[in-house]
Amino acid sequence: MGKRRLLTLCTVTLLTASMLAGCGGTKTEAEKPSVDKSQTKDNGDNSTTTTTANGIDTSEKVELQFYMLGEAPKDLPTIQEEINKLALADLNATVKFNFTTWTDWSQKYKLLLSSGQPIDLIFTADWTEYQSYAKKGAFLPLDELLPKAAPKLNEFVPKDMWEAVKIDKKIYTVPATWKEYVTEGIAYREDLRKKYNLPKPESIETLEQYLDGIRKNEPNLLPLADNQGYHTSSVRQLTTKTVNSSNTVPYGLNIMYDKPRDVTSYWGSPQHLADLKMYKTWADKGYWPKNVLNIKDSGHDVFANGKAAAILGSENPNRYNDSVIKIKSLHPDWELGYFPYPNAKGFAQPVHPIHNGFAIPRTSKHPERALAFYEKMVTDKRYNWLTQYGIEGKNFEVEDGKYYKMLGDAQSNGFPREGMQGWAWRNPEFMLFDKSFDAVLTMFSEFDKIAKPDIFQGFPEDWSPYQAEKAAVEQVEKQYLYPLNVGLVEDVEGGLKLFMEKAKQAGLDKIQEEYTKQWLKYLDDIGQ
Amino acid sequence: MKDNQAGMSLSFKIISYVIISFLSLACLFPFLLMISGSLTSNESIIRDGFHLIPQVFSLEGYNMVFTFPDQLIKAYSVTIFVTVVGTVTGLFLITMAGYVLQRKDFKYRNKFSFFIYFTTLFGGGLVPWYIMITNYFNLGDTYAVLILPGLMTPFLIILMKNFIKSAVPDELFDSAKIDGANDFRIYYSIVLKLSMPGIATVGLFLALSYWNDWFLSSLFINDSSKYQLQYYLYNMINTMLFVSQMSSGTGVTLAQEIPTESTKMAMAIVVTGPIVFLYPFIQRYFVKGLTVGAVKG
Repeated sequence: MGKRRLLTLCTVTLLTASMLAGCGGTKTEAEKPSVDKSQTKDNGDNSTTTTTANGIDTSEKVELQFYMLGEAPKDLPTIQEEINKLALADLNATVKFNFTTWTDWSQKYKLLLSSGQPIDLIFTADWTEYQSYAKKGAFLPLDELLPKAAPKLNEFVPKDMWEAVKIDKKIYTVPATWKEYVTEGIAYREDLRKKYNLPKPESIETLEQYLDGIRKNEPNLLPLADNQGYHTSSVRQLTTKTVNSSNTVPYGLNIMYDKPRDVTSYWGSPQHLADLKMYKTWADKGYWPKNVLNIKDSGHDVFANGKAAAILGSENPNRYNDSVIKIKSLHPDWELGYFPYPNAKGFAQPVHPIHNGFAIPRTSKHPERALAFYEKMVTDKRYNWLTQYGIEGKNFEVEDGKYYKMLGDAQSNGFPREGMQGWAWRNPEFMLFDKSFDAVLTMFSEFDKIAKPDIFQGFPEDWSPYQAEKAAVEQVEKQYLYPLNVGLVEDVEGGLKLFMEKAKQAGLDKIQEEYTKQWLKYLDDIGQ
Repeated sequence: MKDNQAGMSLSFKIISYVIISFLSLACLFPFLLMISGSLTSNESIIRDGFHLIPQVFSLEGYNMVFTFPDQLIKAYSVTIFVTVVGTVTGLFLITMAGYVLQRKDFKYRNKFSFFIYFTTLFGGGLVPWYIMITNYFNLGDTYAVLILPGLMTPFLIILMKNFIKSAVPDELFDSAKIDGANDFRIYYSIVLKLSMPGIATVGLFLALSYWNDWFLSSLFINDSSKYQLQYYLYNMINTMLFVSQMSSGTGVTLAQEIPTESTKMAMAIVVTGPIVFLYPFIQRYFVKGLTVGAVKG
């Protein structure tokens, strides 16, 4: 009896153990050493070293690990299969597309680059802190690799773009060549403007008149869609020639595009006080709700669903176009208008080349092959269309020879347009746009006439010398400046004094000094 | 005097009942909001905010969730599998560990206990842990990675050890030994039977932590068919958050359909519903076990 009990116990233990082993013991393809020497597939020649046209050694079959941010599209496995058929024939390589999802993406990004796992290609951008990772040596320098492994790509990307992505005189990422604008503007309800005969909001005065008119005639409509007091940076865009194309220059600094070497502090200046006083009157007039600092909805949603009459930030041409389409489907009788800030500034800055790119991390086992593959992604139409638009006839079709048309709707289509977040390997020669995008393209061509290069986004800020102060100042800003921005403080002058006092205690001067020093050095580097 | 006492206790009762009922209602409130939100049309949520009674009734949220039920069902089955396997295996290992650690005739029990306790005080941090699991154990993208890290929680081992200590008198071991039972036999027929309430508690803790876990999926799972339920939901909500936080200066545009407010709520209902219905049935074990287990002898 006792023996039998023991036996069952042992069996149970063994079973559980084997169960665990069963789900842990499977080594996926990716973890096996990806070099398969015995793999000499007969490709018509029996030589042990096959080389492609550009002279890299492709005798070993390898699997490349490709990492992108965001969600994987539903049809990814099918696309991957198709791509692998092509890549196997061209480069004797297969690729595995990995996606980080948007959950804690920045933490995952950091782990991917610091854990030493083999990664062959990874997305880079100014907002993923490309500059600081490159400075820390997370990526391989590509200068020597490019002409050897990807000559076509090397030619394809213009010289000045290669120059612009250099960090400490070395290229670490392959920039995207499509020129887009993500400048912001005022989006507003044009139908209401006509109805009440209000002026077009194209300056502070006309904007105030417009909002006052809305306030008077449409008491149930919010004049401005705003959260967290985002309007401050928009007002800077509207009233000054500030150097950046969206957001504000950090740490309350003031840098103008025409005089970039002349750095002053905007915080605490008479101009700042005047602006804050203006926000106070805006708040008193009820342009935004009292609890604006606690609003979590995105302004874009609030505006696109018709809860507000105008929005100052967050509408770049592409998003504005989105709002137009959304409003059209919800309320066909409404009409929207748009005033881009570049028109107020007198110049438009297209995105900086580092804005979308792909780098090869230091941990890559096959950098040459990775670069050759990426060249295919960009310059070979078959690869490019597969990874940007999916499979023709299944996910999309080409209308009138040049327009992209999605088959089915966003719900049922397993690979929507740019479903792999393929912003970085857009190729202007192959790009297909939705019909509705024509409006944006028209706007872009208008901007092209007044385009000036972006000199701000490429600035590799290194905040390690003032990391502690940075955190402290951000805290102070949230506590003392935000309420001022949305006009919750009765005594504006006193409030600003208090904020400046606290910010200086937190180390604002040190930050501004150090930042200015780095900025001037960067200007020397780019020859401004 | 006595009356006064009785009055005190009566008034005390009244006050405590009022407070408790008020608090329970407060706990129900967000849940009601969620249900009503899932039945409201999205436009109305953005325009008029949440209400306890839907302003514009619509089932669009549920329609969205059930258009592609396959992912949801897959995530459900992953979570159920992980919870069942993890809880059973975990209980098995934890009770064994607890039993051995409290045996007085186990010479090194204090050293082992300290070794286990020590890990609760000092950890290597996220990056070394990540490197160990992905590069040394090669557990990325496996079901094992969802189960193994939570299998032996030091806190639960200590809890179990103390519970067995208080539930099983030492004399029992001696008498069982005299009757000719070996160590496994004692564990199996005496210890397990006597410490049932403790096992129920620890089991619940384990099951809940497996059920609610999303972090492991988030770090180690790349293949969306292996997502746990909670992560599937969390990720969906996060995508929205990300889009609203990303300033337009990044020019990030997402191709996928972003779930709307009402879809989020419907999703949350679908995910939490079953567990809420299950809870009343297991809750009594929970209460009993916790009170007993809290006495650290």
